Amino acid sequence: MDPLLVTQALNVLYEVVTLAVIVLGLAIVFGLLGVMNLAHGEFIALGAYVAYVCQSLGLPYLAAVPAAIAACALLALPVERFLIRPLYDRPFDTLLATWGLSLFMRKAIEIGFGGGYKSLKIPVSDSVLVLGAPFPAYRVLLMALCAVLIAALLLWYRRSVAGARVKAMVGNRELAQAVGIRTDRLARDTFVVGLCFAGLAGVMVAPLVSVQPYMGLDYVLRSFFVLVVGGLGSPLGLLSGAAAIGGVESAMSALVDRTAGYSTVLLIAIFFLWRRPHGIFGRS
Amino acid sequence: MGSLAVRSAVLLLLLLALPLALGEYWAFQLGLFFLYAIAALGVAMCWGQAGFLPLGQALFVGLAAYLSGAALIQWGEAWWVFLLLPFAALAAGALAFLLGLIIFRGRSESGPYFAIITLAISLLAFQVANSWNEVTGGYNGMKGIPGLPGLEGFSDVYYLAAVALACAVALCGWLVQAPLGTLWRAIALNERRVAYFGYDTAMLKAIAFGLSGVLAGIAGALYAPQQGLVTPELVGFALSADLVIWVAVGGRKRVLGPVLGVVLVGILSAELRERTYYWDLIVAAGFVFVVLYASGGIGALLAPLERLLPGRRKALEPLRAPAPKAPRTAVTLAIEGVSAAAGEVRILDRLSLAIARPGIYCLIGPNGAGKTSTFNMLTGELRAQAGEVRLDGDTLSKPTPYRLARRGVGRKFQIPSVFGELSIDENLRIALWSGRTSLLDWLRPAPRRWDTPVLAALRGRYPFLDDGARLASALSHGERQVLELSMALVTEPRLLLLDEPCAGLSGEETAQVMAVIRWARDTLGLSVVIIEHDMALVKQLAEHVFVLHQGRLLAEGDVAAIRSDPRVHEVYVGAAE
Amino acid sequence: MTTSLARRKFLIASAAGTALIGAPAFIRNASAAKDFKIGMFYAIAGPAANLFGPTQKACAELAVEQINAKGGILGRRVQLLFANGDAAVADATKSAVRMLLEDKVDFFLGSHNSAVREALVATIKARVPYVYTPIYEGGECSPSTYVIADTPRQQMETVLPWLHKKAGYKSVYLIGNDYVWPQVTNKYAKGIFKKLGVNVLGEEYVPLGAPNKFEEAVTRIKGAGPGLVLITLVGGDNVNFNRTFAGFGLDKTILRVSSLLEENTLLGIGAESSNGLYGCMSYYSSVDTPAHRAFKAAYRKKYGDKAPILGLIGVDTYAGVKFVEAVVTKAKANAAAKVKSAANGITFASATGTMTMRNRHVDKDMYLAECKGTEFQIVETFSNVKSGQTCT
Repeated sequence: MDPLLVTQALNVLYEVVTLAVIVLGLAIVFGLLGVMNLAHGEFIALGAYVAYVCQSLGLPYLAAVPAAIAACALLALPVERFLIRPLYDRPFDTLLATWGLSLFMRKAIEIGFGGGYKSLKIPVSDSVLVLGAPFPAYRVLLMALCAVLIAALLLWYRRSVAGARVKAMVGNRELAQAVGIRTDRLARDTFVVGLCFAGLAGVMVAPLVSVQPYMGLDYVLRSFFVLVVGGLGSPLGLLSGAAAIGGVESAMSALVDRTAGYSTVLLIAIFFLWRRPHGIFGRS
Repeated sequence: MGSLAVRSAVLLLLLLALPLALGEYWAFQLGLFFLYAIAALGVAMCWGQAGFLPLGQALFVGLAAYLSGAALIQWGEAWWVFLLLPFAALAAGALAFLLGLIIFRGRSESGPYFAIITLAISLLAFQVANSWNEVTGGYNGMKGIPGLPGLEGFSDVYYLAAVALACAVALCGWLVQAPLGTLWRAIALNERRVAYFGYDTAMLKAIAFGLSGVLAGIAGALYAPQQGLVTPELVGFALSADLVIWVAVGGRKRVLGPVLGVVLVGILSAELRERTYYWDLIVAAGFVFVVLYASGGIGALLAPLERLLPGRRKALEPLRAPAPKAPRTAVTLAIEGVSAAAGEVRILDRLSLAIARPGIYCLIGPNGAGKTSTFNMLTGELRAQAGEVRLDGDTLSKPTPYRLARRGVGRKFQIPSVFGELSIDENLRIALWSGRTSLLDWLRPAPRRWDTPVLAALRGRYPFLDDGARLASALSHGERQVLELSMALVTEPRLLLLDEPCAGLSGEETAQVMAVIRWARDTLGLSVVIIEHDMALVKQLAEHVFVLHQGRLLAEGDVAAIRSDPRVHEVYVGAAE
Repeated sequence: MTTSLARRKFLIASAAGTALIGAPAFIRNASAAKDFKIGMFYAIAGPAANLFGPTQKACAELAVEQINAKGGILGRRVQLLFANGDAAVADATKSAVRMLLEDKVDFFLGSHNSAVREALVATIKARVPYVYTPIYEGGECSPSTYVIADTPRQQMETVLPWLHKKAGYKSVYLIGNDYVWPQVTNKYAKGIFKKLGVNVLGEEYVPLGAPNKFEEAVTRIKGAGPGLVLITLVGGDNVNFNRTFAGFGLDKTILRVSSLLEENTLLGIGAESSNGLYGCMSYYSSVDTPAHRAFKAAYRKKYGDKAPILGLIGVDTYAGVKFVEAVVTKAKANAAAKVKSAANGITFASATGTMTMRNRHVDKDMYLAECKGTEFQIVETFSNVKSGQTCT
């Protein structure tokens, strides 16, 4: 096979898979709980910065994973209690409040770490041969990890008791309460888990992107577009949305350039927002 | 509106006098912020009045700025270039209106999705502005824009901006008090209900959005000569975001709110941002606080101050309202073989019934028989998959509440849905204006004083309706039912659909409502279809009864015939007597 | 009666509010009128602030300290007033107006990007002289504007032929950010490539300020297979591109020249991605001249261990302040006409030696560096390279 084509195909696959993991946190928070969390990107940034701090302290890269999860969980708890819970039936105000939170977090990161970018050392820096074309090893590792993570989460959601409880709460909150599910606590835990996934995504992509205070904005917009196009509340929606947005952007970037890629994504998102806001696989 | 003129004149004089106190640099700085304030006013009109939030308003500021800049570069020497600037603003407004119309007609509710659509559109515009080097100059921007002829000093544009701001404040103040403002506020509260009164809510919202586009356009058109340079930054997310923050903190419901927000937060930011790192944190925290606890913003604090202002309005003479535009003939309704389903459940199953004369009809049947669904099918909430509905002999295809209201079909819901945060007067007026007003009427103050014999009669029967300034949310449940019924009657419909009009009413109130229904039938000559469970009511009111069962018409006839029908007995096991 | 009383109350309240708004203007400390004020625009806050800001401020303040120790400019103590140049254009313009009208500065010094420079030139309108210090694309001939920045000629005429002689590349790929400096630099470079007989295989631009990723670009470059990549990316994009480039293994076969690559950026790129990377600028911290050794000693003495890393963008502000001293002293005033005639041919101190201004631009020594790890190794020095600009 033409090695160039293989590389380009791998680029597209990489884009789609990492996008799915980046959106995962928001798919949980927005798709299941209906919370429009505009600070989602900032939690990804938080994970990336935690990874940076761990690396500066000389710790092995894997140490960043529990550190980031802890940091996100610690922040998510008060956010859920004071920002999200009072605004559960005011989705518009949730949007604004989380946006204010994102501004706050962005500025706090800028004050703490400065406005410039930070570079992390790539944990695995060789390249491997995939179908005859060399490809950076860390990217391959990342793709594998993301696939495993998503598959595991899907399985858990379908099969486990906790997953069933979450599905019940999402389907009919009052009825779930009536059968004894503590929806308050479940919603809080789901929210925290969603944000922890965001932090985890940040740790994963940090070595490959510019880590700077404004990185979150792009992620949160892209995540919304993925969910709008793919559909909320269904894993199939997440995957199809990531495939659509990530695939189109990557393909257009390869064929024309990055601006064309992003503009195409915006056009697709606008169309879906206008005509089919429940996306390809969402419930109407 | 005399008080409005006085207040605007005072504001203008104040603004014009400021540079004398503050110096040339402050005039330069304030000039720019006055432009932002004009754009922020547009956001406040959409958000605070009509209830939708545009998150990409910088798109219109930037568009007008690029157009104005290009015009100034081409024809900057000529004196008439002043006249081109309003065209740049109007172009932005036209784009906003078109976008609004397309988006609002394509979707039924605004909410957060509209905000994200506008955000996405503005991001797209930023991409275009950033890469289209030939036209916009790309990242480097459109350079070398000359100042307006005669206004080349640093502080000169300030005066122009001050005048523009005062005019914008006056315009918005006018619209807020005009019928259009009332309609916008009603849409923000319950858009579906407004549509049921025969208003094209998509058009109304698009007008608000178009207005905001014009205001943003004025800001952009004056920005270009003041700064001399237009970069894609102007179209970017940062300015859109700042506008929202300024409006939120300043207060979105009051006209002066955004001006306060821009001036206080914007100027403080500009001064303090370079001194303390923490200023932006404070602004972000303040914004979150306002969203959580103080949605009125700073403007809400000014409410007591407003009472000091001159010109409290006195009670005005009522005017006779024009007649409704819908035809005044008796309505005929024919439903033939209509079927509708939701998923697996058959809601309506080859339903056929007909109304040929004015009168009081009752629709009865056990729970789940499809009574409310019949109403929903008539007004377009439930899609019929088979069968035909003919209104006045014309086939009704794809009905919408708005279209049906225009043809004289009124509806009252089971749970009273009056506009709680509007006064009784405003509620009644909204009903009164439906079907009688055009766009021009919405801008005039006169329709606020309209009255009709029907309204006067209703006021006579229900004295509490006279207390016009009282908020509808302060009424008891029974009073709200009556208010909504009055609103429905005031539109003088030809076919009135009432869904359990006496639900939750005391015996006395019920008797009053029945009297009103009979009176309406006699005076207006309309057909009333009432869904009712209370057989006593049905006995007293109905001239003709339809019995529905499992989505089909089981039996029909006058009350006596129904009572003796064995099929009806079978269905109503243990029917109330 | 009550309405006029109410109106009066309203007016008083508004006047009070106005005074409150205007208060900051009076709160600002009025500096002594005799001080020679230089209004300095640099990266205080913003994406570049972390990279360049501290160095820019430190070098400028070092120069001011040295000048004041010798009695200041024309007997007046020099004072630096700062404004953020790494901000939105409207904010920079506002700061310039404030410095003109309220602070009444005597000279402007700018270390920021070209968009802000254009805005400042349009705002200052030659009322006060303005010196611009960082690398730029050339062509700035506005009245009363002086440029000590590296120009494309100085950068390209040196490194491109040298590398061609040494490594013999036959084709080149151009990648840069989409704004004026990379566009003009590339245009200049293409002229040189034509003379050398080198093929230009591709030219690509990515938007400035967007979160760009370079997998597709790097794949394209891999497919085209040039011998050299000329990089006119800045900041985070420069770092990201080079890391992606090396990540895909292209650094083993393709040479790179980056036009704006200084110490901070190289640190960001990291040792594992800097193999085969070259740059050519008028300053590297590893340049070895007597003047530079003295400069570094003074710098370390003033700032000790906390000294910000020295790099071109920061160090040029030192030269900028020294230029202001030299030209105003020679002209004996800061009036535009006198400064203009004094500026032509004037020599002044820089961190590594001296610079001479001709046609309002500077001819200077250029250093060609190869990246070794996270350090620059100077492999060639070009003396007194002409700026190639012809302002009158």
